Amino acid sequence: MNFGIRPILSVLIRSPVGPLLVAIEMAIALAVGVNAAYIVHQRIEKVARPTGIDDANQFVVYSVSFIDGFNYDDSVQEDLAYLRGLPGIVAVSVTNAAPFSQDGNITSVWTKPDHKGPEQYVNYFEMDEHAIQALGTRLLAGRAFHREEILPPVTERNANDFVPEIIITESLAKALFPHRKALGATVYDALNNPVTIVGITHDMIGSAFSRYPGDETFVALAPRMPLLYGFAYLVRTKPGRRDALMRIVEQHLSASNLGRTIRLRSVEFFKNKLYLTDRVMQVFLVAVDVLLFAITSVGIFALSMFNVSSRTRQIGVRRALGARRKDIFLYFMIEIALITSVGVVFGCMLAIELSYWLSAHYGLPRLDLHYLVTGVLALWILGQFAVYAPAREATTVPPSVATRTV
Amino acid sequence: MINYYVRLALKSFQRTPALTLVILFSISIGIAVCVVTLTLYHAVSSNPIWWKSARLYVVTMDSWDPKQPYDTTRPSLPPPLLSYRDAKYLLGSTIPERKVAMYRMKGVITGAPRQSIPDAIMTRVTTSDFFSMFDVPFLYGSGWSSEADLSPLPLIVLSRAQNDALFGGINSVGRVIRWNDRDFRIVGVLDRWFPQPKFYDLTSSAFGAPEDAYIPFGWAIALKKYPASTVDCWRMETLKSFEQFLSSDCLWIHMWVELPNIAKRQQMQAFIDSYWDEQHRAGRFPRARNNQLIDVSHWLVDQRVVSDDDRMLVELAFAFLASCIITTAGILLAKFLKSSPISGIRRALGASRLQIFLQHLVEVCLLCICGATFGIALSGLGLWALSLLFRIDPTNVGGYQALIHLDMASIGYAVALAVLTTLAAGIYPAWRICTAPLAVYLKGQ
Repeated sequence: MNFGIRPILSVLIRSPVGPLLVAIEMAIALAVGVNAAYIVHQRIEKVARPTGIDDANQFVVYSVSFIDGFNYDDSVQEDLAYLRGLPGIVAVSVTNAAPFSQDGNITSVWTKPDHKGPEQYVNYFEMDEHAIQALGTRLLAGRAFHREEILPPVTERNANDFVPEIIITESLAKALFPHRKALGATVYDALNNPVTIVGITHDMIGSAFSRYPGDETFVALAPRMPLLYGFAYLVRTKPGRRDALMRIVEQHLSASNLGRTIRLRSVEFFKNKLYLTDRVMQVFLVAVDVLLFAITSVGIFALSMFNVSSRTRQIGVRRALGARRKDIFLYFMIEIALITSVGVVFGCMLAIELSYWLSAHYGLPRLDLHYLVTGVLALWILGQFAVYAPAREATTVPPSVATRTV
Repeated sequence: MINYYVRLALKSFQRTPALTLVILFSISIGIAVCVVTLTLYHAVSSNPIWWKSARLYVVTMDSWDPKQPYDTTRPSLPPPLLSYRDAKYLLGSTIPERKVAMYRMKGVITGAPRQSIPDAIMTRVTTSDFFSMFDVPFLYGSGWSSEADLSPLPLIVLSRAQNDALFGGINSVGRVIRWNDRDFRIVGVLDRWFPQPKFYDLTSSAFGAPEDAYIPFGWAIALKKYPASTVDCWRMETLKSFEQFLSSDCLWIHMWVELPNIAKRQQMQAFIDSYWDEQHRAGRFPRARNNQLIDVSHWLVDQRVVSDDDRMLVELAFAFLASCIITTAGILLAKFLKSSPISGIRRALGASRLQIFLQHLVEVCLLCICGATFGIALSGLGLWALSLLFRIDPTNVGGYQALIHLDMASIGYAVALAVLTTLAAGIYPAWRICTAPLAVYLKGQ
């Protein structure tokens, strides 16, 4: 059996433009498709990363008072008593901001007094002794707050005194004290007051400010009643009970105290809002990849069909000279394989170039080569599949075509 | 001649209907993907006050921490807000044609006839020039006078949506409602106004909704309540009272001025700089002098309204279009070369190379026009699907999702892309066919 690559090659070289265009198209499809798929993968990973809290079963109740002489303490006591008494509610804490809301507070702490040592930004939540259960996070070391430790609210803006104890996340602990145990250690606030770390929790994403990249899990819980910077109740329910409880709570609390107005939002709402653009990117890029696949395969199919129909004479001649059907079939399969190889070589170079460019302009990580290898394989298979039907069509050309003059 | 070429083109389509469909498919989705991303990009990068954006300036001074800049990634940019005392002083300048200082507060409305529960809304506390400076349209009434800022008078302006919710949309000018349990008289109701991006206040969300109520700036002191908008403080001072907060270096006031020409702009710059000199000598403003008057277009760029994602989408869309164009070019090449006998006969009958070239270009042009038309329809579908994705907050009217619809700009892009595709995909195949040695096809086979 004679595979005879030379005759196939010489046909291609004699009129290279057409096949070259197919190869270039495959190269672009590989470069764009693989990079787009990798970006989708990054976004999926970003959205899927664990938040560290029980975000599927939580909602916040914002409470805004508007009358002079509103009794904060009584109102909070009444609300908490009601909420904590509802069946189906696991835990309730006050908070100054909802998780993922891109709203909240940041302060600075230092590991040495007098602002010595690196300044560390901390995204903090003012919560009470039920904070850990309400968030649904896990204590890795230390303890939760005690009821007596919860300070009354700050009434003047930028009072700047922080709290004497905090609970921090694991990653914040490592950032502050990379070489020693953070539990029991002291950090200093802006006014040089010492702040003791009494507990360390599993990592959780806070208000998701991202003023600086990578710091979304640098979260601290401060034992203080919120007021000035925002006031809400963070409610955690049993699984599946959230929506029903939201309705019940809204109905009761909007009527229970007419000196304030309330609004409820699920934590999932904030999470979706936060990841909205990532989800849009995913959908868009997957659509582009699907369309690329469609265009490439339809293009190869159409072109090959066309080639076959315009080369019936040559096929007929070859058959008349003794080629079997199998040889004709293989001819076209090998032809597309050669074109694909050229396309793959250009495509790999283009894909890596594109990845460098995206990385330089948008700070994306460089392409994972697994994606490139998968893309190359996919392109090969696509080429072979697209040319299959035309190749079969070619085998039906009878040898008698060679002797016709029309 | 064009008529003849068009008829030849139609005949050519009839000869190879399947290939024609493939070409149309390729062109239309290439154009559709580009139009969707370009429309999105155009929407987020638009300048909603383009007719006077060159006259409107944000007033910024670098009053931040001497040890580090406000934005470590862009150290030459001053913070976007001013402190109360600096804004108060600069408001005294008579150089600008109009001047605005403002911030936001949470307000709860009660006492309106159609209300069942109190309504918590965002309120903009601003000086009187806000409405004329930003060309805000009024449905009923008007804003307040500059005297109202000083006392301050209990006057309020409502948005159209808020007026609909509280009064059913009637002319409520002159009525009294309670804002945070204080009586305020309505002096104006705005018409529909939803500038996107929210250029006049990018400090919260670039695509947020305009506030539902506006009250005079003088209430900042009178209320003794803290703002609900951004407050940035760097100085480690203990502020134990509202008065201390007002005289501190905390930044929370957003200030704009309208300067009609270069001379006024230079005067304003000199005014701010001399204030800076005086304060610097008194010990404030520890950083190097960096007072900038930033006009709207630069402001939109500085505040990064257009995200990297928006840009990346446009670039990837064009790469996809390139792929479609190459596919189209390959198929066109094959198609034209197959029909060389016909062109050969035409040449024999006296057609010049140019005429053959033009004829084939017309054919490509027709394909691209059809493709662009389908492309516009597809992009309409694509934009609608995209807007569904954005519609997660049913209470948030407008916003990003309102931007995502087909408009004149989209049609413009589609036309431009059709031209681009015609030339990119068609020139080489048309040139090949007109330079081919066509006489060979006149011989008997």
